[in-house]
Amino acid sequence: MKKTQFLLVLLSLFALSTGCTKKQNAQERVLHLSSTAEIKGYDPIMADDLYAGREVSKIYEGLLEYHWLKVPYELQANLAESLPEVSADGLTYTFKIRKNVFFQDDAAFANGKGRELEASDFVYSIKRLADSKNAATGWWILDGKVKGLNEWRDKNAKLDQTNYDEEVEGLKAIDKYTLQITLAKKFPQFLYSLAMPFTYAVAKEVVAKYGKEFINHPVGTGAYVLPKFDQGKQITYTKNPTFREKLYPSDASPSLQHLLKDAGKKLPLVDKVVVHVMKEDQPRWLKFNKGELDFIGVPKDNFASNIKDNKLTPELVTKGVNLEITPSLDVTYIAFNFENKLFHNKKLRQAMSLAFDQNKSNELFYNNTAFPAQSIIAPGVRGNDPQYKNPNRGPNVEAAKKLLAEAGYPNGAGLPEIKYDIPDSTTSRQGAEFFQKQMEQIGVKIKIVATPWPEFNAKVKQRKVEMFGLAWLADYPDAENFLQLFYGPNKSPGANGSNYDDPSFNKEFEKAVVLQESPERTAMYEALNKRLAEDSVAIYGLHRQSYLIIQGWLENYHSSDFNHDYVQYLNINNEKKAELLKKF
Amino acid sequence: MNLYTYVLRRLLYVVPVLLGVCLVVFVLFNLVAPDPAFVLLGKHATPLQIAQLHHELGLDKPFWAQYLDIVKSAFTLEFGYSWSSKQQIWEMIKNGVLPSLSLTIPIFLLSNTIAIIIALTTAYYRGKLIDRFMLIFTIATMSIPSLAIILFGQWAFAYKLGLFEIAGYERSIPEFIPYVLLPICIYVFINFGPDTRYYRTMILDEAYQDYVRTARSKGLSEVIVMFKHVLKNAMIPIITNTVIQIPNLFLGLLLAESFFSIPGLGSMTINAINNSDFPVIKAITILSSISFIVFGVISDVLYTVVDPRMRLK
Repeated sequence: MKKTQFLLVLLSLFALSTGCTKKQNAQERVLHLSSTAEIKGYDPIMADDLYAGREVSKIYEGLLEYHWLKVPYELQANLAESLPEVSADGLTYTFKIRKNVFFQDDAAFANGKGRELEASDFVYSIKRLADSKNAATGWWILDGKVKGLNEWRDKNAKLDQTNYDEEVEGLKAIDKYTLQITLAKKFPQFLYSLAMPFTYAVAKEVVAKYGKEFINHPVGTGAYVLPKFDQGKQITYTKNPTFREKLYPSDASPSLQHLLKDAGKKLPLVDKVVVHVMKEDQPRWLKFNKGELDFIGVPKDNFASNIKDNKLTPELVTKGVNLEITPSLDVTYIAFNFENKLFHNKKLRQAMSLAFDQNKSNELFYNNTAFPAQSIIAPGVRGNDPQYKNPNRGPNVEAAKKLLAEAGYPNGAGLPEIKYDIPDSTTSRQGAEFFQKQMEQIGVKIKIVATPWPEFNAKVKQRKVEMFGLAWLADYPDAENFLQLFYGPNKSPGANGSNYDDPSFNKEFEKAVVLQESPERTAMYEALNKRLAEDSVAIYGLHRQSYLIIQGWLENYHSSDFNHDYVQYLNINNEKKAELLKKF
Repeated sequence: MNLYTYVLRRLLYVVPVLLGVCLVVFVLFNLVAPDPAFVLLGKHATPLQIAQLHHELGLDKPFWAQYLDIVKSAFTLEFGYSWSSKQQIWEMIKNGVLPSLSLTIPIFLLSNTIAIIIALTTAYYRGKLIDRFMLIFTIATMSIPSLAIILFGQWAFAYKLGLFEIAGYERSIPEFIPYVLLPICIYVFINFGPDTRYYRTMILDEAYQDYVRTARSKGLSEVIVMFKHVLKNAMIPIITNTVIQIPNLFLGLLLAESFFSIPGLGSMTINAINNSDFPVIKAITILSSISFIVFGVISDVLYTVVDPRMRLK
């Protein structure tokens, strides 16, 4: 009898296991995505990582966005009617705001109906970003850029209550649909800021209603709605019923012409988006292989067994899975801390650079999927000359030994042991040990110092490191974002963790960054890029590529580093999905 | 001593313990841990922004004032907001505790029940084939790393056999059940070895006592000896072991939460550590200390219930 009861309990548990999961309407088009990091919340001014940026962009929108089907990246109007009018001096940007754009319905508005977006919403949203009481992680994009904004910020930092009614000279809503932004100095990259989540439009009423809980109550003008964020591992968005008439693009770059099938259709294309927060590789991989996720990055441990010669194995091909390989706009590098006089010796830096074998590192740690870096600017960004060969790039151990001797340290004699700081993780440690061995070949002794990320980061920011390993992923597709890594005024705690400060480089950099996109500016960027490479300011590592596997039923997808709002363009072919799932 | 007086006196120990915990937390975060401003401001920080953030977070206050802030939050249980996610900490705990408990309570109950039953059985048949088999089996299960069991279990039972969900969680009832079944089974298996060995040792310690020999010489059956006499006396270490596990139930299971995407307190704590999120770490540390004290008192009181010879002092 007891045995029977026990079996009954087990059976009912299994029945629950299969019966309790929510069933999906067969006609409904649902996108299943994964996020490899926790989502911090839905305040655009805090969306400082890729994960938060992507989630925020499902709900909120900005003045500008990147064209979904243009390569290289091209800005276009989003909540603005068109690209701005720029004054002759390049300082004043005038935007016409799109009419009949409404915030999503929410109790914060009169009668619960979302009101129309106005130019003043951008004035308010930018002030929120600048308000030091909000400690916004995205403030850097406008720091020192907009006329009078820093003064407003500093003045209000001293007050108990920030005065949002006080005008900022360079930030004006001329009328309901006209926004004017005046810069403190020329900065053409400013437009990229307006396509980043930090400057998305939020409504004053919503911030006022929810206060500190605003972060969990996203109310934007975007394609999807999320009534409340409960910090779960499964976030479900539904179509915004009041979303404006935004259409799928009808023009595309030649390489993306095949994604025009839905041209002219009203966005968004899928009814529901479910984001599964999964930090571990195995469950993500298994879920994809069961057809429960629509695309994922290929986990490192599954790479070799599933991708050979940049092609998927027949097993995955049979399931209709596609592989997409896209270069990321990033660079890995080993930095010298120039506050340490030892590294003022250029020949020492060159010797270390020549002793390092990037190709081997690519093979060992990236399955040969990355590109050895010749310089700091990633390929595909204007300023990176694809023909350029860095004269200090290794491996050339003999030349390295010769240079080390010329530097005053024959076979490393007299050279103190150099501390190499890394964030503590298995991969970083393996990479550091490889670097240590490479340097041993010429007699340079490296001591690896591995610390948890917060401590590592603090040491770099406080200039307490000698050498350290880092990767830089571009914030926007402009060479300025790479070159500023060696711009003197950006020294730690800024992005220039190397603390490299060459007045003549700084001067040339300042001249280049204020120019509008032009062959002249590209030539200047190229010259600065080569100059850094030839000065061996760092040991360049790799430019990585993203390897994504995509289910056969997912349509319109291509990888993009900056289109945070990409989800609205994606489509699911339910018939094809049903067909392909039989092969899973 | 009167039970109420004892409980009250023990609970008053919370005060010095909390003051000590606050001191340790304060020293660790102000003197040892890196400046959280660097993590919170990200890659483009400027000295002015750092100074402004220090002011916003109260890190520019004198040390004594910062210590008093910690003490105040420990006694009022007002933990404020997370520095990194800007979420209200009580809301984070509220959101995380149920998923954690939906995992840990069944694991706790099943693991202990199964382990006690098996321990009693093997102790009853000590030296026999079943005892030797269980001994080898428990040692074998203990030799396999937990991570390997999780990875294999997820691959075999969820992916290959399709008996369970691979990962995920639903907050509503009963939708959450399919998501916790597999991690529960896996953790019951992981705990099986150490728990069974522990309880078997405790029971056998009692089984060799003089009073057991006396009971047997009186002609009592082995079943009565084991269940009426041995088990009753072995209850004290069993209670100690089980009650001491209870505060941990609230802290969640880091690996299980991570691999099965369960939004519990385990992953919340690790995120807080990785982000130097002091207010969250402070809240978890203080709440853990309080719960350890409270459950310590409960276990003391339970001793007197199971063994009237025990006295509260």
